[in-house]
Amino acid sequence: MGSVIEVKDLHHRYPNGFHALCGVSLTVAKGEFVAIIGQNGSGKTTFVKHLNGLLRPTAGMIWINGQNIRKRRVSEMARTVGYCFQNPDHQIFCDTVYKEVAFGPQNLHLNQAEIDERVDEALGAVGLLHVKDEMPKELSKGHRQRVAVASVLSMRPEILIIDEPTTGQDYRDGIEMLNLVQRLNEAGHTILFITHDMPMVARFARRVLVFRDGQILLDGSTQQVFAQPALLRTTFLAPPPITCLAQAFPELFPETILSVDKMVEQSLAVLRKREKVMPS
Amino acid sequence: MSEIVKLENLSFRYMRGTVPALSDIDLSVRAGEFIGITGPAGAGKTTLLSCINGVIPHYYAGELQGRVVVDGLEVATCTLHELAGHIGFVFEDPDFQMVSITVEEEIAFGPENLGIPPHEIELRIQDALQKTGISNLRERAISTLSGGQKQRVAISAALGMLPKVLLLDDPTSELDPVGTQEVISALRAINHQLGITILMVSQNMEQLVENADRILVLSEGRLILDGAPREICMRADVLKRVGIRVPQVTEFMISLLLRLNRSPQSDKIPITVEEAAGMFQEILHKGIII
Repeated sequence: MGSVIEVKDLHHRYPNGFHALCGVSLTVAKGEFVAIIGQNGSGKTTFVKHLNGLLRPTAGMIWINGQNIRKRRVSEMARTVGYCFQNPDHQIFCDTVYKEVAFGPQNLHLNQAEIDERVDEALGAVGLLHVKDEMPKELSKGHRQRVAVASVLSMRPEILIIDEPTTGQDYRDGIEMLNLVQRLNEAGHTILFITHDMPMVARFARRVLVFRDGQILLDGSTQQVFAQPALLRTTFLAPPPITCLAQAFPELFPETILSVDKMVEQSLAVLRKREKVMPS
Repeated sequence: MSEIVKLENLSFRYMRGTVPALSDIDLSVRAGEFIGITGPAGAGKTTLLSCINGVIPHYYAGELQGRVVVDGLEVATCTLHELAGHIGFVFEDPDFQMVSITVEEEIAFGPENLGIPPHEIELRIQDALQKTGISNLRERAISTLSGGQKQRVAISAALGMLPKVLLLDDPTSELDPVGTQEVISALRAINHQLGITILMVSQNMEQLVENADRILVLSEGRLILDGAPREICMRADVLKRVGIRVPQVTEFMISLLLRLNRSPQSDKIPITVEEAAGMFQEILHKGIII
């Protein structure tokens, strides 16, 4: 698989002098599902805002689909890289859901039939066809977040970046949002999402980037990253509770466990082996 | 301990609401309790806090039934001004409630409006900052602070009014793990040292389980569970049904015991990683007879 994102020695210094990114390099292949974790101020959002040109590097290079994006405009980038803001209210500005989702395609100068087709497709993907004519501001936060995702999807971007999709949502809405993102990933979209929710990372991401002080501290499969609790602790992160429980018994569970179900299965296996359980 | 908050048969319907936001809530909170409130979106959590601090019925129009008494005051008939010295409120987004440029001005704002003399305000500022661990931030501009620091300023500003009860609406949902820990430590300190009663809404069940004395679960405007964290966690089936995350280690142990044909005991079920590790160790040593 070819790489869709390539970043080489990226630096960003904000006008106030804060050095938010200090040499970030990585490659993301088409179809990956990547979680980005780290404390606030570690550079996560600054990093992803470079991928669609919202921020420009102080130094370093970025290629999207093999093309250097140095001179590409944000409006051009929006066809390839969709970015959902952390707070949907920072991006929603139209008075109906339809207009909000149609805004991007309209700017591509598509004909009306094509625009309508894209709006229906995007709202269908997020399960909001029934509120097409409603006012976004009157929807719940979970639904506003989905409108924001739909307005990005209607551009049919190959790469989808979602900044804290579950913050401020209840558990059920959070899971639903990530199930939706997972379906988009299965349909071929490359996904990057920023989060503080470790059980969600364990459940959905296949690769994890850990940011600390503007650099990538760890980059690996979800299992590899959560297998290093000591290193994670240096940036005040911890694996999900179930992973920590398994890690309290390293000789019994040598492999990093990411889900409750897996922990139950492996515990039963361990107990049977030790003959702590009589066969029924 | 004495009763500090009392809700009797409380129901509320917002003016434009088709269904009641709260139905028949009965609740008695003892002074000094740390109460966690959870429930899915739209369950009535914020409405419940609004009924306790008087925003309902003083600001929001609607149909209110039943009674709310806080620190001996009848909320519906007291003015918000009278209630302000008894109940503090902290919002989810600290930027939402900040009215000043600097930290000390923010804390002085409430007491100044009550006409408290300057030397007394000075003492309150010092005390509030010390209790939340941000004395070093006193002169700072609020706009330069991190989320966890800002939220502790909001808590300090509430403390400056010397409340008996502090209400918090999901105060850590916008914070990173460091900020969350800072806020929770500050809340534990003011609860333990000052005996201030805390009612905190949160979506983070692991956080509530570790810090609250008692957890209330709301769903569709009703109080469906009310008990100690361990009792609440034992009702994993109910929590899952209404869409609330069960602590992973509790879910694990319940499910392991059931697979071993044992019924989990509500006084023993683990709710933290340490407890779960202890119990698992015991099973390893002694077999499944526990």
